Amino acid sequence: MKKILVSLLVVCMIFGVTGCGSSENAAGEANASVKVALALTGPANDGGWNAVAYEGLKVVEEEFGAEISYTENVQATDMEAVFTDYAAQGYDVVIGHGFQFGDPALKVGEKYPDTKFVCIEATAEGENVASYAMKCKEGSYLMGVLAASMSKTGSIGMVSGLEGPSLIKIVEGYKIGAREVNPDIKIAQAYTGSFTDIAKAKEAAMAMINGGADVLSHCANQAGMGVIKAAEENGLLATGDSYDQNVISENTVMCSTVYNVPILIRAAVKDVIDGTFEGGIHELGMKEGVIDIAPYNGFEDKIPAEVKDKIADLKSKIISGEVVVPDVVEITN
Amino acid sequence: MLEQMFTVAFLTTFLTSSVRMAVPLIFAGLGETFSEKAGILNIGVEAIMLSGAFFSFAATYVTGNLWLGLIGGMIGGMMVSLIHAVFSICLRKDQTVTGIALNMFILGATSFMFKILVNNNPDFPQISTFHKIAIPMLCDIPVIGPAFFNQDIIVYASYVLIILSTLFLYGTTWGLSLTAVGEHPRAADTVGIKVYTIRYLAAMINGVLGGLGGAYLTLVQLGVFMENVTSGRGYIALAVVIFGRRHPIGVFLAALLFGAADAFQFRLQAIGIQLPSQYLTMLPYVVTLVVLLFSAKGSSDPQSLGKPYIGDAR
Repeated sequence: MKKILVSLLVVCMIFGVTGCGSSENAAGEANASVKVALALTGPANDGGWNAVAYEGLKVVEEEFGAEISYTENVQATDMEAVFTDYAAQGYDVVIGHGFQFGDPALKVGEKYPDTKFVCIEATAEGENVASYAMKCKEGSYLMGVLAASMSKTGSIGMVSGLEGPSLIKIVEGYKIGAREVNPDIKIAQAYTGSFTDIAKAKEAAMAMINGGADVLSHCANQAGMGVIKAAEENGLLATGDSYDQNVISENTVMCSTVYNVPILIRAAVKDVIDGTFEGGIHELGMKEGVIDIAPYNGFEDKIPAEVKDKIADLKSKIISGEVVVPDVVEITN
Repeated sequence: MLEQMFTVAFLTTFLTSSVRMAVPLIFAGLGETFSEKAGILNIGVEAIMLSGAFFSFAATYVTGNLWLGLIGGMIGGMMVSLIHAVFSICLRKDQTVTGIALNMFILGATSFMFKILVNNNPDFPQISTFHKIAIPMLCDIPVIGPAFFNQDIIVYASYVLIILSTLFLYGTTWGLSLTAVGEHPRAADTVGIKVYTIRYLAAMINGVLGGLGGAYLTLVQLGVFMENVTSGRGYIALAVVIFGRRHPIGVFLAALLFGAADAFQFRLQAIGIQLPSQYLTMLPYVVTLVVLLFSAKGSSDPQSLGKPYIGDAR
């Protein structure tokens, strides 16, 4: 009995001591700069999805004085290893930029409970794992409205990269927007299976153009360039994705969705710094300024005023919550 | 759905798209055919193509001249192939390992150089591309005409190359020497054929043609360069060579088949066929496997493929 009491006491003391130690550590860390790591599925200079995440990392560095690090081109098989590396090196926040990072984050998160894992656009949720998702569908919804309004043939097309929940939501949101304008519109869709193969995305768009589509949209990151090129070559219209892509082809790209990923990443890191971080799924959209649409640039005069008014009206209704773009995670026709 | 697929317009655009998708594979496949016939197995086709794509873009971007871009692409591809040649001919290293290492190295190197090339440019870096030139008479043939004879100059060059390489490999002493070097370098050596020289030349041809294959993507199809723009086409080119049984015409037909598989699956998706997209994007790769299965019997491999030649050994 004595022995048990003694060992219990010892255990209590150990916990007490380590408890003290960790609280001291926590106090110390609050003063030191927060360490933030970012893992990307592609190159940081892709001019799209990964470039904006890198930009977000820079914002965090400047605004919070965070110590930053990033890894490019992380393949699905290496995600766990990259996360483990960063967690073992004592990074406070490890960000995986893409839905693919969800499962690796959950696995590594169990082993490193003190590290906060943030997955962008994922659906993973755990004690120390949070998914920060953008309501990208709100942007693609407005692109659908614009594309359907500007189509003369009554046929439009949408090229996506990999088939994943966050991409399906974008494509489906686009369709809902397009059908809002023209319930009978023909919408061709394609998933190319690659975010880097520009030539493939271009061929997918060509197939749609051959089928009569006259306004093309994409959500294929770097590969989406091919979609814009296909529209440009055929003198047709396109909508951009992720940032103002009018620079790629000023007479082709009418408008683009804008994902303010830096705001999203900043929000996630700020939650950790403020101690308000919570595991789970956090969705940010137009209301928070994470999703927006680019200016019309040279198309300001070419898009009819009533179309622009309709889009502005819908945008304000989305922000006020009057219009909610539904989540569709199954591919429909 | 089926009636949508059997129209002249559908078939024409489908075949045109197949040719576009096939051209990089034709060039890279032809190059690899020369290399393998001389006994060098170069897995680094992807690296050659990517280097060709980058240097063709860089040369055109800097000079504004597409022809210089074409030359840049050829040199870019040749440099990579020569690295492989030095390792496999002079240093007698494992050819497969060298090839794989090159694929990874060039992927990183090109994106790094691209970053440097465009770093200070706020505008989106792009170049103008080669225009289509319709060949009179021939381009009026229904379906086949627009697909094969309303293309750009590089596509026509590929037709000429296929004919020339066939004549070269099977009709000239040089071509036979090349085959001899790949089959039995010792025997070739004893009759006075310079084994090393021929292997180096074959490697250079491989680099030039593979570089052209990559240049086709940037100078004709896209007008932009992006990291990993070749996206695995070099690996498909390797399958094309085996399926085409290292015959230029075989390579041409095999490349066309792969192009068609891709063109077909995008058309099925555009029509809105009720199949998961994964099945459709898988199609070209399933074709690869099926094709390798059928072409496996009766190998056309040169006997000394992948084996370094040691001149003075007994």
